[in-house]
Amino acid sequence: MTTFTETKVKIPVLSLSRVWTIAAGTMTQLVRMKTFYFLLIFAVLVAGVGYLDFRLATAASQLETIKKISFGTMDLFAWLYAIVATALLIPRDLEDRTLYTILSKPVRRVEYLVGKLLGVLILIGLSLGLMFCLCMVMLAIKHGDLVSSELIKLSSDPNITQVEIEEQIALINEQGPRKELGVAALASFLKSSVVAAMTILISTFASSSLFTIITSIFFFLIGHAHGMMTDYWLHKTEGNLVIRLATKVMKLLIPDFQLYSFSEGVVTGATIVPAVVWSMGFLTAGYLFIFLLISLMIFMYKEF
Amino acid sequence: MSKPAVEVKNLTKVFNTGNPGANVFKKGITGSYVVAVDNLSFKVEAGEVYGLIGPNGSGKSTTMKVVLGLMAPTDGSAKVFGLDAGDVRARNDIGYLPENPYFYRHLSGEETLKFYGKLCGLKGKVLKDRIDELLDMVDLEGARTRRLAGYSKGMLQRIGLAQAIIQRPGLVILDEPTAGVDPVGSRQIRDLILQLKEEGISVFLCSHLLEQVQEVCDNVGIIFKGRMRREGPLEELVSIENRYSFVLENASPKLIKEIETLVEKEKGVTITEKGNPRTTLERLFLKIAGSKDQDEV
Repeated sequence: MTTFTETKVKIPVLSLSRVWTIAAGTMTQLVRMKTFYFLLIFAVLVAGVGYLDFRLATAASQLETIKKISFGTMDLFAWLYAIVATALLIPRDLEDRTLYTILSKPVRRVEYLVGKLLGVLILIGLSLGLMFCLCMVMLAIKHGDLVSSELIKLSSDPNITQVEIEEQIALINEQGPRKELGVAALASFLKSSVVAAMTILISTFASSSLFTIITSIFFFLIGHAHGMMTDYWLHKTEGNLVIRLATKVMKLLIPDFQLYSFSEGVVTGATIVPAVVWSMGFLTAGYLFIFLLISLMIFMYKEF
Repeated sequence: MSKPAVEVKNLTKVFNTGNPGANVFKKGITGSYVVAVDNLSFKVEAGEVYGLIGPNGSGKSTTMKVVLGLMAPTDGSAKVFGLDAGDVRARNDIGYLPENPYFYRHLSGEETLKFYGKLCGLKGKVLKDRIDELLDMVDLEGARTRRLAGYSKGMLQRIGLAQAIIQRPGLVILDEPTAGVDPVGSRQIRDLILQLKEEGISVFLCSHLLEQVQEVCDNVGIIFKGRMRREGPLEELVSIENRYSFVLENASPKLIKEIETLVEKEKGVTITEKGNPRTTLERLFLKIAGSKDQDEV
C-alpha cells in the first residue's frame, strides 16, 4: 500500500508521459467515434472531381480546376474537423464526469489541456496527410491521362512543331502533381491547428459541445473576413475612433485566418518564398501558445 | 501516529447564482448566492470507512469535490494525508469513483485501466500485472476486452472502482457507489469496500442509502443543508441506550412464557417488541438470486 511519505514525491510541472497518455486516449476516442468517416466522403468527392466534364477547357486549366476544388475541399474538411472533433472533447468529458476521474489522478490541468490539443492536432495531421495523398494520386492519374491525350492530339497536327509540343506539355506539367503542393497542405494544417486551439479555448468556458461548435464557426468566419469588415466599417464611419478601437480589439482577439490563404497561390502554381512558410509557422506557434495560455488561465480556476 | 486520510476544518463553500430558487439562503450585493457547505469539520482516520450521509442537495458531493481538489473552498481547509487538497501530490494517494460514471465508452475494460494506470505513472509489467489483479478482483476478467458501451451499470461501477484503486491509493472516495445498481451488484460493491478496509485503505463514501452505510462504515457524519448535524462511531449513533435485545433459537413456548412472567415482575421494565425476527427483502432477494446462480452452475 502507498504510504503517506510517498505522496511527498515531486510531480513535474509538465509530464510528457501523462500528456502523451491523454493525447493517445483522445486519438483512440475520436477514431472509435468514427470521426474519420468524413475521409470517405472526401475520397468520393475527389474521385468525382476527376470525372467532371471539362470539354471546353485546356488540359492545364482542367488540372488547375481539379487542384483548386480538391485542395479547397481538403482545407474545408480540415478546419471543420478541427472544430467538431475538438468541441466533442472537454464538454463531453465534463458531461460524462470522465473529467472528474482524470483530474482526481495526479494529473495537472495543463497536462490535460495540452494532451487533448496534441491528440486532435495529430489526428488533423494524419487526416490531412491521407487527404493530400488521395489528391496527389488522383492528380497524377489525371495528369498522366491528359499528357497522353494531349501528345496524341498535338502530334497528329502537322502545323505544330516539336518545340511547341514541348511548351504545351511543360504548361500541363506545371499544373501536375508537384512537391510544392505539400506547402498548401501544410498551410491547411497550420490554419486548422489555430482553429483547434481556439475551439479548446471556447470549450473551457462553454456549456456544451453544440455551443462550442457554433461559437467556433462564428469566430472562424469573422477571422476570415477581418480585412473586408474593417475596411467597410472604417469607410462607412469615416474612421470613427470607437470603430477603429473595436476593429483593433477584434484583430487582437480573433486570428486573421486570411493570412493562411497563401496556399491558394501554391495550388495555382505560384512559387512560394520559404520565408513566408517559416513566418506562418512562427505565427501559428504564437497563436497556439497564446490560446493555450488563456485556456489554461480559465481552466486552472474552473470549478467542476 | 499516521496523519488522517482526510481532515476537513471549518469548510465553507458558497456558490454565486443569478437564478434565485428554493435553495437560495442569502442574498448578496452582486446577486443571490447559495451556501452549499457551512463550516463543516470532520476527520477520516487512516484505515477507517467513513460515511457522509444526507439527502440530495445537502452538500455531500460539494464536500467531496473540495477534498478532490476539483473545487476550492470559500473558507476553511481540506487536507488529504496532511497535504492541501488542491495540491496535485495529494492525488497520488486518492482513488475516486463518481456517481454514475461513464468513462470512455469506446475503450474496453482493460484499456480503461491501462489509461488510468498510465496517468498514475504505472507502466510495463507492473501495470499489466495490476490490471490482471484488479480485473480478477472486480470479477470482470471475462469482459476485459469488451468495450464499456456494452457494460451493465453494475459492471461500470466495478470497473470504476478498479480504476479508482489502480495506483494502490491510501484513500478511496466513493460518491453514491451503488446508485442504480441491482441488489446483487450492490452487494458485490459492498464486499469490495470491506475488502479495501481489510487491506488498510481508508474509504470516504457519500450516500443516501442508509442501510448500505450502516453495513460498511465505522464512522458516520450526517449532513443537512450544508451543516454537520451528528457525527461519531456508527455503533454509538444507532444504539438505543435504555433498550436491550436478544434473539432465541429453538425456544419452547413454555420458556418464552416464563421469560415474559419474569419481565412482568420487574418494575418499569416492559417488552416493546416480540415475535419471529424477519429477514429484509434484500436479504431474501440475495438468497434467492444466490441459489438460482447455483442451480444454473
